[in-house]
Amino acid sequence: MSSIVPVAPPKTLRELFMGFFWIGVRSFGGVMPWAYRTMVEERRWLTHADFTETIGLCQFLPGPNIGNASIVLGKRWFGLSGSVVAFLGLMALPFVWVLALFVVYSDLSSNATLKAVVTGVGAAGAGLFIGTAIKLGRALAKKPAALVLIAACFALVAVARVSLLMVVPIALGVAVLAARRGWL
Amino acid sequence: MNLVELGLYFALLSLVSVGGLPSVMPELQRYVVDVKGWLTPSDFIQAFAVGQAAPGPNVLIASLIGWKVAGLPGAFVALGSICFPAAVIAWWVAELWERFKDSPWRKAIQRAIAPIVVGMILSSGVVLATPGSPDWRLWLIAGLAAAGMLATKLNPLWLLGAGAALGALLL
Repeated sequence: MSSIVPVAPPKTLRELFMGFFWIGVRSFGGVMPWAYRTMVEERRWLTHADFTETIGLCQFLPGPNIGNASIVLGKRWFGLSGSVVAFLGLMALPFVWVLALFVVYSDLSSNATLKAVVTGVGAAGAGLFIGTAIKLGRALAKKPAALVLIAACFALVAVARVSLLMVVPIALGVAVLAARRGWL
Repeated sequence: MNLVELGLYFALLSLVSVGGLPSVMPELQRYVVDVKGWLTPSDFIQAFAVGQAAPGPNVLIASLIGWKVAGLPGAFVALGSICFPAAVIAWWVAELWERFKDSPWRKAIQRAIAPIVVGMILSSGVVLATPGSPDWRLWLIAGLAAAGMLATKLNPLWLLGAGAALGALLL
Protein backbone atom coordinates (compact mmCIF):
# COMPACT_ATOMS: atom_id res chain seq x y z
CA MET A 1 0.00 0.00 0.00
CA SER A 2 1.46 3.32 -0.95
CA SER A 3 0.36 5.92 1.53
CA ILE A 4 2.20 8.54 -0.48
CA VAL A 5 -0.95 10.36 -1.56
CA PRO A 6 0.02 13.95 -0.81
CA VAL A 7 -2.01 16.03 1.62
CA ALA A 8 -3.91 18.72 -0.28
CA PRO A 9 -6.93 20.84 0.58
CA PRO A 10 -10.18 20.35 -1.35
CA LYS A 11 -10.07 21.98 -4.78
CA THR A 12 -13.69 23.00 -5.17
CA LEU A 13 -16.53 24.10 -2.92
CA ARG A 14 -18.43 21.06 -4.10
CA GLU A 15 -15.67 18.80 -2.84
CA LEU A 16 -15.66 20.66 0.48
CA PHE A 17 -19.41 20.31 0.78
CA MET A 18 -19.34 16.60 0.02
CA GLY A 19 -16.57 15.98 2.55
CA PHE A 20 -18.46 17.60 5.39
CA PHE A 21 -21.69 16.05 4.15
CA TRP A 22 -20.13 12.61 4.59
CA ILE A 23 -18.89 13.47 8.04
CA GLY A 24 -22.39 14.53 9.10
CA VAL A 25 -24.19 11.59 7.53
CA ARG A 26 -21.98 8.86 8.92
CA SER A 27 -21.30 10.16 12.39
CA PHE A 28 -23.19 7.66 14.47
CA GLY A 29 -21.93 7.71 18.02
CA GLY A 30 -19.83 10.87 17.85
CA VAL A 31 -18.60 13.15 15.10
CA MET A 32 -14.87 13.49 15.78
CA PRO A 33 -13.72 9.99 14.79
CA TRP A 34 -15.58 10.37 11.49
CA ALA A 35 -14.18 13.83 10.91
CA TYR A 36 -10.70 12.38 11.37
CA ARG A 37 -11.35 9.44 9.10
CA THR A 38 -12.86 11.59 6.36
CA MET A 39 -10.46 14.53 6.36
CA VAL A 40 -7.16 12.91 7.35
CA GLU A 41 -7.35 9.32 6.19
CA GLU A 42 -9.71 9.21 3.22
CA ARG A 43 -9.62 12.61 1.54
CA ARG A 44 -6.23 13.64 2.89
CA TRP A 45 -7.10 17.29 3.25
CA LEU A 46 -5.10 17.66 6.45
CA THR A 47 -2.18 16.05 8.23
CA HIS A 48 -2.73 14.38 11.58
CA ALA A 49 -0.90 17.20 13.36
CA ASP A 50 -2.89 19.87 11.58
CA PHE A 51 -6.16 18.15 12.44
CA THR A 52 -5.22 17.82 16.10
CA GLU A 53 -4.23 21.45 16.31
CA THR A 54 -7.39 22.70 14.61
CA ILE A 55 -9.65 20.61 16.79
CA GLY A 56 -7.68 21.74 19.83
CA LEU A 57 -8.47 25.34 18.94
CA CYS A 58 -12.12 24.55 18.30
CA GLN A 59 -12.46 22.95 21.71
CA PHE A 60 -11.47 26.21 23.36
CA LEU A 61 -13.90 28.29 21.40
CA PRO A 62 -17.57 28.52 22.34
CA GLY A 63 -19.92 26.56 20.10
CA PRO A 64 -20.06 23.01 18.76
CA ASN A 65 -16.50 21.77 18.18
CA ILE A 66 -17.10 20.23 14.79
CA GLY A 67 -19.25 23.20 13.74
CA ASN A 68 -16.34 25.49 14.59
CA ALA A 69 -13.99 23.22 12.67
CA SER A 70 -16.18 23.58 9.59
CA ILE A 71 -16.04 27.38 9.94
CA VAL A 72 -12.28 27.53 10.54
CA LEU A 73 -11.30 25.07 7.80
CA GLY A 74 -13.82 26.44 5.31
CA LYS A 75 -12.39 29.90 5.86
CA ARG A 76 -8.83 28.70 5.52
CA TRP A 77 -9.52 27.06 2.16
CA PHE A 78 -12.17 29.22 0.51
CA GLY A 79 -12.93 32.23 2.71
CA LEU A 80 -16.47 33.08 3.73
CA SER A 81 -18.13 30.90 1.10
CA GLY A 82 -16.03 27.98 2.34
CA SER A 83 -17.24 28.45 5.91
CA VAL A 84 -20.87 28.61 4.83
CA VAL A 85 -20.61 25.62 2.51
CA ALA A 86 -18.75 23.43 5.02
CA PHE A 87 -21.20 24.27 7.81
CA LEU A 88 -24.24 23.57 5.63
CA GLY A 89 -22.73 20.35 4.35
CA LEU A 90 -22.16 19.19 7.89
CA MET A 91 -25.61 20.04 9.21
CA ALA A 92 -27.96 19.59 6.26
CA LEU A 93 -28.81 15.92 6.33
CA PRO A 94 -28.41 15.26 10.07
CA PHE A 95 -30.82 18.16 10.67
CA VAL A 96 -33.49 16.58 8.47
CA TRP A 97 -32.79 13.15 9.87
CA VAL A 98 -32.97 14.08 13.55
CA LEU A 99 -36.21 16.01 13.04
CA ALA A 100 -37.76 13.15 11.09
CA LEU A 101 -36.78 10.71 13.80
CA PHE A 102 -38.21 12.98 16.46
CA VAL A 103 -41.51 13.42 14.60
CA VAL A 104 -41.89 9.67 14.19
CA TYR A 105 -40.99 9.19 17.83
CA SER A 106 -43.43 11.87 19.01
CA ASP A 107 -46.23 10.01 17.23
CA LEU A 108 -45.33 6.78 18.99
CA SER A 109 -44.35 8.12 22.39
CA SER A 110 -47.69 7.29 23.98
CA ASN A 111 -46.33 3.73 23.93
CA ALA A 112 -44.99 3.22 27.47
CA THR A 113 -42.28 0.70 26.52
CA LEU A 114 -40.89 2.89 23.77
CA LYS A 115 -40.86 5.84 26.13
CA ALA A 116 -38.94 3.76 28.70
CA VAL A 117 -36.43 2.70 26.03
CA VAL A 118 -35.82 6.26 24.90
CA THR A 119 -35.55 7.55 28.46
CA GLY A 120 -32.98 4.80 29.06
CA VAL A 121 -31.00 6.04 26.06
CA GLY A 122 -31.17 9.55 27.54
CA ALA A 123 -29.85 8.34 30.88
CA ALA A 124 -27.03 6.46 29.14
CA GLY A 125 -26.24 9.62 27.16
CA ALA A 126 -26.04 11.51 30.44
CA GLY A 127 -23.65 8.81 31.66
CA LEU A 128 -21.44 9.35 28.60
CA PHE A 129 -21.13 13.01 29.59
CA ILE A 130 -20.12 12.00 33.11
CA GLY A 131 -17.57 9.59 31.64
CA THR A 132 -16.22 12.32 29.36
CA ALA A 133 -15.88 14.68 32.30
CA ILE A 134 -13.96 12.07 34.29
CA LYS A 135 -11.71 11.33 31.32
CA LEU A 136 -10.90 15.01 30.81
CA GLY A 137 -10.69 15.62 34.55
CA ARG A 138 -8.00 12.98 35.10
CA ALA A 139 -5.48 15.19 33.35
CA LEU A 140 -6.22 17.93 35.88
CA ALA A 141 -6.36 15.78 39.00
CA LYS A 142 -2.96 16.85 40.28
CA LYS A 143 -3.83 20.52 40.33
CA PRO A 144 -5.80 21.47 43.47
CA ALA A 145 -6.94 24.77 41.95
CA ALA A 146 -8.43 22.94 38.97
CA LEU A 147 -10.34 20.59 41.27
CA VAL A 148 -11.68 23.55 43.24
CA LEU A 149 -12.85 25.18 40.02
CA ILE A 150 -14.52 21.98 38.81
CA ALA A 151 -16.28 21.57 42.16
CA ALA A 152 -17.37 25.21 42.22
CA CYS A 153 -18.77 25.03 38.68
CA PHE A 154 -20.60 21.85 39.57
CA ALA A 155 -22.06 23.29 42.76
CA LEU A 156 -23.26 26.42 40.99
CA VAL A 157 -24.61 24.80 37.83
CA ALA A 158 -25.88 21.37 38.84
CA VAL A 159 -26.84 21.97 42.48
CA ALA A 160 -27.74 25.65 42.84
CA ARG A 161 -28.90 25.86 39.19
CA VAL A 162 -27.39 29.28 38.63
CA SER A 163 -27.50 30.48 35.01
CA LEU A 164 -24.52 29.71 32.81
CA LEU A 165 -24.65 33.30 31.62
CA MET A 166 -23.42 34.22 35.10
CA VAL A 167 -21.23 31.25 35.89
CA VAL A 168 -19.10 31.03 32.74
CA PRO A 169 -17.86 34.65 32.59
CA ILE A 170 -17.08 34.72 36.33
CA ALA A 171 -15.45 31.29 36.37
CA LEU A 172 -13.43 32.20 33.31
CA GLY A 173 -12.17 35.41 34.92
CA VAL A 174 -11.16 33.61 38.10
CA ALA A 175 -9.57 30.75 36.16
CA VAL A 176 -7.50 33.05 33.92
CA LEU A 177 -6.14 34.83 37.00
CA ALA A 178 -5.36 31.50 38.62
CA ALA A 179 -3.64 30.32 35.44
CA ARG A 180 -1.56 33.50 35.29
CA ARG A 181 -0.35 32.76 38.81
CA GLY A 182 0.66 29.28 37.71
CA TRP A 183 -2.00 27.45 39.71
CA LEU A 184 -3.54 25.71 36.70
CA MET B 1 -43.12 35.67 20.74
CA ASN B 2 -41.72 32.42 22.05
CA LEU B 3 -39.67 32.17 18.89
CA VAL B 4 -38.00 35.56 19.35
CA GLU B 5 -37.30 34.84 23.00
CA LEU B 6 -35.90 31.42 22.17
CA GLY B 7 -33.68 32.84 19.43
CA LEU B 8 -32.27 35.61 21.58
CA TYR B 9 -31.63 33.37 24.54
CA PHE B 10 -29.95 30.67 22.48
CA ALA B 11 -27.78 33.32 20.81
CA LEU B 12 -26.61 34.55 24.23
CA LEU B 13 -25.97 31.00 25.30
CA SER B 14 -23.91 30.44 22.18
CA LEU B 15 -21.40 32.98 23.45
CA VAL B 16 -20.74 31.08 26.69
CA SER B 17 -20.88 27.57 25.21
CA VAL B 18 -17.23 26.68 25.80
CA GLY B 19 -16.96 22.93 25.43
CA GLY B 20 -19.88 22.82 23.01
CA LEU B 21 -23.39 21.58 23.53
CA PRO B 22 -22.69 19.25 26.48
CA SER B 23 -21.69 22.30 28.52
CA VAL B 24 -24.92 24.18 27.90
CA MET B 25 -27.38 21.31 28.46
CA PRO B 26 -27.96 22.19 32.15
CA GLU B 27 -28.74 25.76 31.18
CA LEU B 28 -31.01 24.68 28.32
CA GLN B 29 -32.93 22.51 30.73
CA ARG B 30 -33.10 25.22 33.37
CA TYR B 31 -34.43 27.72 30.84
CA VAL B 32 -36.86 25.74 28.70
CA VAL B 33 -38.15 23.43 31.46
CA ASP B 34 -37.83 25.26 34.80
CA VAL B 35 -38.13 28.90 33.79
CA LYS B 36 -40.33 28.82 30.69
CA GLY B 37 -42.17 25.53 31.04
CA TRP B 38 -42.04 24.97 27.27
CA LEU B 39 -41.03 21.32 27.75
CA THR B 40 -41.66 18.88 30.59
CA PRO B 41 -38.60 17.24 32.24
CA SER B 42 -39.57 14.02 30.51
CA ASP B 43 -39.84 15.74 27.08
CA PHE B 44 -36.40 17.17 27.63
CA ILE B 45 -34.57 13.92 28.32
CA GLN B 46 -36.36 12.28 25.41
CA ALA B 47 -35.37 15.04 23.00
CA PHE B 48 -31.82 14.66 24.29
CA ALA B 49 -31.97 10.90 23.75
CA VAL B 50 -33.22 11.19 20.16
CA GLY B 51 -30.51 13.76 19.43
CA GLN B 52 -27.81 11.52 20.89
CA ALA B 53 -28.92 8.44 19.02
CA ALA B 54 -29.19 10.12 15.61
CA PRO B 55 -26.03 10.67 13.54
CA GLY B 56 -24.66 14.18 13.31
CA PRO B 57 -23.32 16.89 15.60
CA ASN B 58 -25.04 16.80 18.98
CA VAL B 59 -25.84 20.50 18.76
CA LEU B 60 -28.84 19.32 16.73
CA ILE B 61 -30.49 18.61 20.08
CA ALA B 62 -31.08 22.36 20.19
CA SER B 63 -33.16 22.10 17.03
CA LEU B 64 -35.37 19.45 18.66
CA ILE B 65 -36.01 21.80 21.56
CA GLY B 66 -36.86 24.53 19.04
CA TRP B 67 -39.18 22.12 17.27
CA LYS B 68 -41.02 21.40 20.51
CA VAL B 69 -41.40 25.11 21.21
CA ALA B 70 -42.40 26.42 17.78
CA GLY B 71 -42.42 23.70 15.11
CA LEU B 72 -40.17 23.83 12.04
CA PRO B 73 -39.39 27.57 12.30
CA GLY B 74 -38.43 26.88 15.92
CA ALA B 75 -36.01 24.16 14.82
CA PHE B 76 -34.29 26.50 12.34
CA VAL B 77 -34.16 29.43 14.75
CA ALA B 78 -32.83 27.32 17.62
CA LEU B 79 -30.05 25.73 15.59
CA GLY B 80 -29.13 28.97 13.83
CA SER B 81 -29.04 31.08 16.96
CA ILE B 82 -27.03 28.61 19.03
CA CYS B 83 -24.45 28.26 16.23
CA PHE B 84 -24.19 31.71 14.66
CA PRO B 85 -22.57 33.86 17.38
CA ALA B 86 -20.04 31.12 18.14
CA ALA B 87 -19.36 30.73 14.42
CA VAL B 88 -18.62 34.45 14.12
CA ILE B 89 -16.17 34.17 17.02
CA ALA B 90 -14.51 31.12 15.44
CA TRP B 91 -14.23 33.03 12.16
CA TRP B 92 -12.41 35.96 13.77
CA VAL B 93 -10.37 34.16 16.37
CA ALA B 94 -8.84 31.41 14.25
CA GLU B 95 -6.10 33.66 12.88
CA LEU B 96 -5.61 35.70 16.03
CA TRP B 97 -5.08 32.50 17.93
CA GLU B 98 -2.34 31.51 15.50
CA ARG B 99 -0.68 34.91 15.82
CA PHE B 100 -0.58 34.75 19.62
CA LYS B 101 0.88 31.28 19.66
CA ASP B 102 3.59 32.20 22.18
CA SER B 103 1.64 34.73 24.21
CA PRO B 104 1.41 33.90 27.93
CA TRP B 105 -2.24 35.05 27.82
CA ARG B 106 -3.11 32.45 25.24
CA LYS B 107 -1.58 29.77 27.42
CA ALA B 108 -3.41 31.11 30.48
CA ILE B 109 -6.73 31.02 28.62
CA GLN B 110 -6.14 27.47 27.44
CA ARG B 111 -5.37 26.34 30.96
CA ALA B 112 -8.29 28.27 32.39
CA ILE B 113 -10.91 26.80 30.09
CA ALA B 114 -10.06 23.14 30.70
CA PRO B 115 -11.40 22.84 34.29
CA ILE B 116 -14.47 24.91 33.46
CA VAL B 117 -15.37 22.60 30.60
CA VAL B 118 -14.95 19.60 32.90
CA GLY B 119 -17.20 21.18 35.53
CA MET B 120 -19.88 21.99 32.96
CA ILE B 121 -19.91 18.57 31.30
CA LEU B 122 -20.05 16.84 34.68
CA SER B 123 -22.97 19.07 35.68
CA SER B 124 -24.62 18.28 32.39
CA GLY B 125 -24.49 14.53 32.95
CA VAL B 126 -25.88 14.79 36.47
CA VAL B 127 -28.64 17.23 35.53
CA LEU B 128 -29.71 15.14 32.54
CA ALA B 129 -29.82 11.98 34.63
CA THR B 130 -32.09 13.78 37.11
CA PRO B 131 -35.12 15.03 35.18
CA GLY B 132 -37.66 16.07 37.79
CA SER B 133 -37.18 14.19 41.05
CA PRO B 134 -34.15 11.94 41.61
CA ASP B 135 -34.63 8.39 40.32
CA TRP B 136 -32.11 5.69 41.22
CA ARG B 137 -32.86 3.76 38.02
CA LEU B 138 -31.73 6.62 35.81
CA TRP B 139 -28.63 7.11 37.93
CA LEU B 140 -27.84 3.41 37.67
CA ILE B 141 -28.09 3.50 33.86
CA ALA B 142 -25.98 6.67 33.72
CA GLY B 143 -23.40 5.19 36.10
CA LEU B 144 -23.09 2.02 34.06
CA ALA B 145 -22.73 3.96 30.82
CA ALA B 146 -20.01 6.14 32.36
CA ALA B 147 -18.19 3.07 33.70
CA GLY B 148 -18.55 1.33 30.33
CA MET B 149 -17.08 4.30 28.57
CA LEU B 150 -14.11 4.52 30.91
CA ALA B 151 -13.39 0.80 31.03
CA THR B 152 -13.83 -0.13 27.35
CA LYS B 153 -13.29 1.27 23.88
CA LEU B 154 -16.77 0.45 22.67
CA ASN B 155 -18.46 2.76 20.20
CA PRO B 156 -20.77 4.89 22.37
CA LEU B 157 -23.72 3.60 20.34
CA TRP B 158 -23.38 0.26 22.14
CA LEU B 159 -23.61 2.00 25.48
CA LEU B 160 -26.70 3.88 24.34
CA GLY B 161 -28.12 0.53 23.21
CA ALA B 162 -27.45 -0.93 26.65
CA GLY B 163 -29.24 2.08 28.11
CA ALA B 164 -32.21 1.32 25.87
CA ALA B 165 -32.35 -2.29 27.08
CA LEU B 166 -32.05 -1.28 30.72
CA GLY B 167 -34.71 1.37 30.20
CA ALA B 168 -37.11 -1.26 28.85
CA LEU B 169 -36.38 -3.52 31.83
CA LEU B 170 -36.38 -1.01 34.66
CA LEU B 171 -38.49 1.98 33.74
